[in-house]
Amino acid sequence: MTANNLLIIDNVTLSYRTRLAFFRQKRFTALDSISFNVSKGETLGVIGKNGCGKSTLLKLLAGIYKPDKGSITQFCERISLLTLGVGFDAELSGRDNAIISAMLLGATKKQAMKLLEGIIEFSELGDFIYQPMKTYSTGMKARLGFSVAVTLKVDLLLVDEVLGVGDASFRQKAEQYLLKKINSQQSVIFVSHNESQVRRLCKRVVWLEKGRVKMDGATNEVFEQYNSKSA
Amino acid sequence: MVNTKHHIVEVFFTKLRLNLKSETKKTYLSYAWWLLEPALYVSVFYLVFSVILNRGTDDFLLFLLCGKIPFLWFSKSISNASNSIVAGRGLILQIAIPKQFFPLLVVAQDFIKQLFVFFFLFVFLAIYGDGSVAHWIYVLPVILTQMLLITACALLVSAITPFIPDFKFLVGTGLMILMFGSGIFYSYKEFLSERHQELFLMNPLANLFKNYREVLIDNITPDWHALGVICLASVLAIIAMNVWFKKTDTTYARLVMQ
Repeated sequence: MTANNLLIIDNVTLSYRTRLAFFRQKRFTALDSISFNVSKGETLGVIGKNGCGKSTLLKLLAGIYKPDKGSITQFCERISLLTLGVGFDAELSGRDNAIISAMLLGATKKQAMKLLEGIIEFSELGDFIYQPMKTYSTGMKARLGFSVAVTLKVDLLLVDEVLGVGDASFRQKAEQYLLKKINSQQSVIFVSHNESQVRRLCKRVVWLEKGRVKMDGATNEVFEQYNSKSA
Repeated sequence: MVNTKHHIVEVFFTKLRLNLKSETKKTYLSYAWWLLEPALYVSVFYLVFSVILNRGTDDFLLFLLCGKIPFLWFSKSISNASNSIVAGRGLILQIAIPKQFFPLLVVAQDFIKQLFVFFFLFVFLAIYGDGSVAHWIYVLPVILTQMLLITACALLVSAITPFIPDFKFLVGTGLMILMFGSGIFYSYKEFLSERHQELFLMNPLANLFKNYREVLIDNITPDWHALGVICLASVLAIIAMNVWFKKTDTTYARLVMQ
């Protein structure tokens, strides 16, 4: 519509087929005629109950799925799902894992090597970075994964409830970092169950229910309706 | 998100190097196994066929190795590739990545390990064979042909398995049929009539094993015509499979979800 659009999602439908037995399948419509826009620099929250199609929507936007019907028009190059530990291998060192993970998320080898120092610093892993990943705790793995994912530059960042990483202090650091990115004109789509987090980070929210857009508007208004309905 | 051609190639080789590194870290002797495994393998064959069974001469052992070693390369690559896309589901569900990446990675990994096995075969041949070592240069086109054949077959089986998981059992059976049908343990010239020989050599694996033996044992130049046909067919199949993967790319993400 306006020149300020980053993404136009128009009437998108996607359904899964589940294999039950020989030649018997069940169809399940995960997203049903979804339409909304994302503007440049905006942080859009997506809320809804389990199974409402949130994760499917993110996979669709990241280019992992293609819609069965409708279209997604993209006015930017890099859209990336903030995923922790893409392509991590337990036998390799944290350093090797950070390099391949950054490359899989779109960096060239040169860029990955350049970013490495920042990634290691942000992850607070210190000398552990040279140890094989199988010696890491879950929190350490998540920290490294988060560091890789946020250090890369993308036009639109898709976040799927990952802020529960690491211990409390790292969680805070992660959220602060994300806030800083949001304030610096990073466009973000943020999917979460955590109301207070969505309220803190997003001005606008899309509410999905059973694969349809139930409501799209200012954060406060949407949550008012959402809470009154679930209560 | 892996988009440009240059980028995907870079990711491919980095991942290849790291996968090989990772594999070696799982054992105490790490890289030494790349030499030890084929060495042990050849020793076992030597022990069984030359010492225990005392079957004929060293000739039979060489004959056997020149078929069995290339066959093992083929069967390992194909059975690893058949499951490669399903095994890559972690990556497939996180980033947009061309799905050929997975079978090709398996093929490349197995190829590098195979180089060490070939090295052992050559050492063994140098000691026990009586062919001229200089002639072995002709084995390179034979290896290249097999590499193309493996790539084509790997892409094909990896494309089918996500649609029909049951297919992997058929791959196992198919490989067994090929093992017995490609003349690894016997010489087709002794057992088959002339008319059937021609039919037998239509099997590309049987034809390749024949070429390995002719080059490495009998010092004959390879059958260029046959190699050319196998190469051409493989290249065409590889192109066709790439078109297929391009068309169906995101379908695989949904298939491995289940």
